[in-house]
Amino acid sequence: MNQLLSVEKLTKRFEGLVANEDVNFSVAEGEIRSVIGPNGAGKTTFISMISGHLRPTEGRIFFRGTDITALKVQQRARLGIIRKFQTPSVFLGLTARENIELAVIAAGTPRGQRQTRLDEVLDLVRMTAFADREASVLSHGQRQWLEIGLLLGAKAQLLLLDEPTAGMTAEETHATGTLIRDLTQRLRLSAIIIEHDINFIRDLQAPITVLHLGKVFCEGSFEEVSSNAHVRNIYLGNE
Amino acid sequence: MSDIIGVAIDSVLITLVLSLAASGLAVVFGLIGVINMGHGAMLTLGAYLTWATTTAGLPFILAVPLAAFGVAIVGLLLEHVLIRHFYSKPFETLLLTWGFFMVSTEVIKIVFGTDFRAVSNPLPGTIEIGALQIPAYRAVVAVLSLLILLTIGFIYKKTTFGLRIRALVQNQEVASLLGQDASMLYKQVFVAGAFLSGLAGALISPMLSIDPYIGNVYLVRSFFVVTLGGLGLLVEGTIIGSFVIGGSETIFALATSQVFAQTIVFVLAVVLLRFFPRGLLAGRD
Amino acid sequence: MIEPRVPVSAHSHRTRFGGEAKVAIAVFACLALFPLFVSGYIVYILPQYMIFGVLAMSLALLWGVTGILSFGQAGFFAIGGYAIGLMTNGSLPFGGLFLGLIAAVLLGYLVAALIGYFLFSAGVRDAYFVLVTLALSIVVEQLSVSQSQLTGGWNGMFIMRPTIDLGFTRIELFADIPVYYVVLAAVALIYAGLYAFTRSRFGKVLTGIRENEMRLVSLGVPAALHKTAAFALSGAVAALAGALYGLHSGFVSPSIGGVLFSTEVVVWVAIAGRSSLIGALLGGIIVSSLSNYLSAITPTYWQLALGLVFILTIAFFRGGVAGTLERFVANRRSAQP
Repeated sequence: MNQLLSVEKLTKRFEGLVANEDVNFSVAEGEIRSVIGPNGAGKTTFISMISGHLRPTEGRIFFRGTDITALKVQQRARLGIIRKFQTPSVFLGLTARENIELAVIAAGTPRGQRQTRLDEVLDLVRMTAFADREASVLSHGQRQWLEIGLLLGAKAQLLLLDEPTAGMTAEETHATGTLIRDLTQRLRLSAIIIEHDINFIRDLQAPITVLHLGKVFCEGSFEEVSSNAHVRNIYLGNE
Repeated sequence: MSDIIGVAIDSVLITLVLSLAASGLAVVFGLIGVINMGHGAMLTLGAYLTWATTTAGLPFILAVPLAAFGVAIVGLLLEHVLIRHFYSKPFETLLLTWGFFMVSTEVIKIVFGTDFRAVSNPLPGTIEIGALQIPAYRAVVAVLSLLILLTIGFIYKKTTFGLRIRALVQNQEVASLLGQDASMLYKQVFVAGAFLSGLAGALISPMLSIDPYIGNVYLVRSFFVVTLGGLGLLVEGTIIGSFVIGGSETIFALATSQVFAQTIVFVLAVVLLRFFPRGLLAGRD
Repeated sequence: MIEPRVPVSAHSHRTRFGGEAKVAIAVFACLALFPLFVSGYIVYILPQYMIFGVLAMSLALLWGVTGILSFGQAGFFAIGGYAIGLMTNGSLPFGGLFLGLIAAVLLGYLVAALIGYFLFSAGVRDAYFVLVTLALSIVVEQLSVSQSQLTGGWNGMFIMRPTIDLGFTRIELFADIPVYYVVLAAVALIYAGLYAFTRSRFGKVLTGIRENEMRLVSLGVPAALHKTAAFALSGAVAALAGALYGLHSGFVSPSIGGVLFSTEVVVWVAIAGRSSLIGALLGGIIVSSLSNYLSAITPTYWQLALGLVFILTIAFFRGGVAGTLERFVANRRSAQP
């Protein structure tokens, strides 16, 4: 598999506080990676450095072999590195269709193809039935899906998903896992997923990176990670 | 040589008087983030209340605190009826306080009339330093401004009331968790700001002829003072900001006309804000 | 496959552009028929209020569509007024009516683009932007006072009513009726252009900035450039309105650039409804004509009433009259099966 994104020795310090230190990490084309860790482990800082919302103090980020460490959020988004925020961030005053339309416009889709693309994305995130509802009246779970739709509409190659199932029911969480796997397989997208929900992580069956105190604590499959006594101690034991 | 000293003294006086005029906004905008477009109207109201009470025969020294309390009460009403419902929406408070300006200006016209009014100067003499003559009242107000700013700074940094406000400014959630009544603190800060604006209007009133729009001269300047000084830096920020906006005008006016100097200062302020969005003392972003 | 849950009550209330085309046609038809039934002063003065309506639309474009508030629209208005004056009164070696209009629009556009780019590219906070637009009004007013050799200072500047030379025919703009229809046609064209703009790809992106700028940037849209362009367009429209005002009234003075006039525009648009172009146009026409009429009778109490209505609008009817009507219509529709 080709490397899509890799980071080298990524470090972020906030006025003495070390949020991430020497993180090495990579994700291949079409691959899903989960990142877990207790609160304060530096997960959101990590994803923010990849999306460009935070500048790393040290270290470099490569996308398809090119150094993108200096690029801004908006430039990285044009390359296809697009982030979903922890609290769903959509255009609340606009309908689901208009939401996706903005994402399709953001990707620079030519006028003639916009409509097709729009319908396609609405269908991918199963929003066709609610397309003309304003985002403000959608449920929390629907907004999460709509935001994933925004990422797809904007032609994301690498989905950065910060707790995509936060605030969802067990059923919705399960459906979201299926959706993400389905999307990455069908469209050959990659994804980095931060999650708390351990059942969701297990269902994803993706390689797991455990962050602890800002560092990579261990990596492996769900079985490997969950049988690691140290991991149980710092993380799983607390659940 | 005495010219240079004259300009220096003049810009110090202007700086200090402007810091006094801006102090109410520094509190309201700087601490609780209310973009108070009614700040100028509060200054105007303070000046008119001083005029009304001195005209009624009250000595100036009593009229000033009375005017400040009067404006504080108006501020309390404004806060209680409108502003407290909109703290989380800065644009709504901006527009509402502009509405307050409109209403307050017309009420002033109805109650006090539209003619120019004058408060007689309580200290008409001058202080002479060598060949320089400084109007005594302006000098006293400048010293008072400094004392008032230092008092604000003392309350903010050294008292428990100040500590509670600092906690609120730092983190509203934590402050409420600690059992702080955030809405009460907001109210106190807003009213304190109104009090300061009224006090400034009262003290400035003998230096100007009073009309219903005099406060507007200070509105935009005060905003520049507070933003250039840096939000929350009540003493040092207000003085630095006032120097850039007020004091430097005296210096520019040497080379060009007074009106054009004002234009230069505003353009300068806009450019400075672009590069120091968090204020001159906070350094570059 | 289980979909995320749908809330039971999912009817939406929305204030937005679109669906107002019919209202606009009705408004312009009424305005076109108006001089057939009335004559005199009102036919002379109504074009001026329509021009104020254009100024109001320049703000609605910025505030209603993009979510950026400007307290500086009168600054651009004055720039346009003085530009057309200087280009038509012979004080410059070149000039003429059409060149003057182009100069006014270009000047408004450039000044706004410059300020906009300077500030938005640094990502200044919204409050600072409001402050700068407020300062802009003051600077324009001060410059028009201090540069009296060009502007006439406090005495203002007189502007000749023009004659439009179309090559095959000439329209003399001295009588009220031709002036009325020329202004009406100009206002209708400006409205149509802005309406089309709000529905374009660009207009949609601006709506996205209003709704959630951070999200849009994180999808790859250069929001700062779009905001700059929106402000520039708004400045150009306000300057065009100022030029039309100068030509119509024959006179411009520093007060049309001042803070008080700038904020008056904000009041018209807030009361009429910031999210509707036709609402802003009507708001500009109705509130400014009421202001003029009632100010003559009882200036103080009228301003007081306007201030109270403004406060009530901001506190209780965020969408203004247009937004409230739209919501009312939407409720009626949803009540009917």
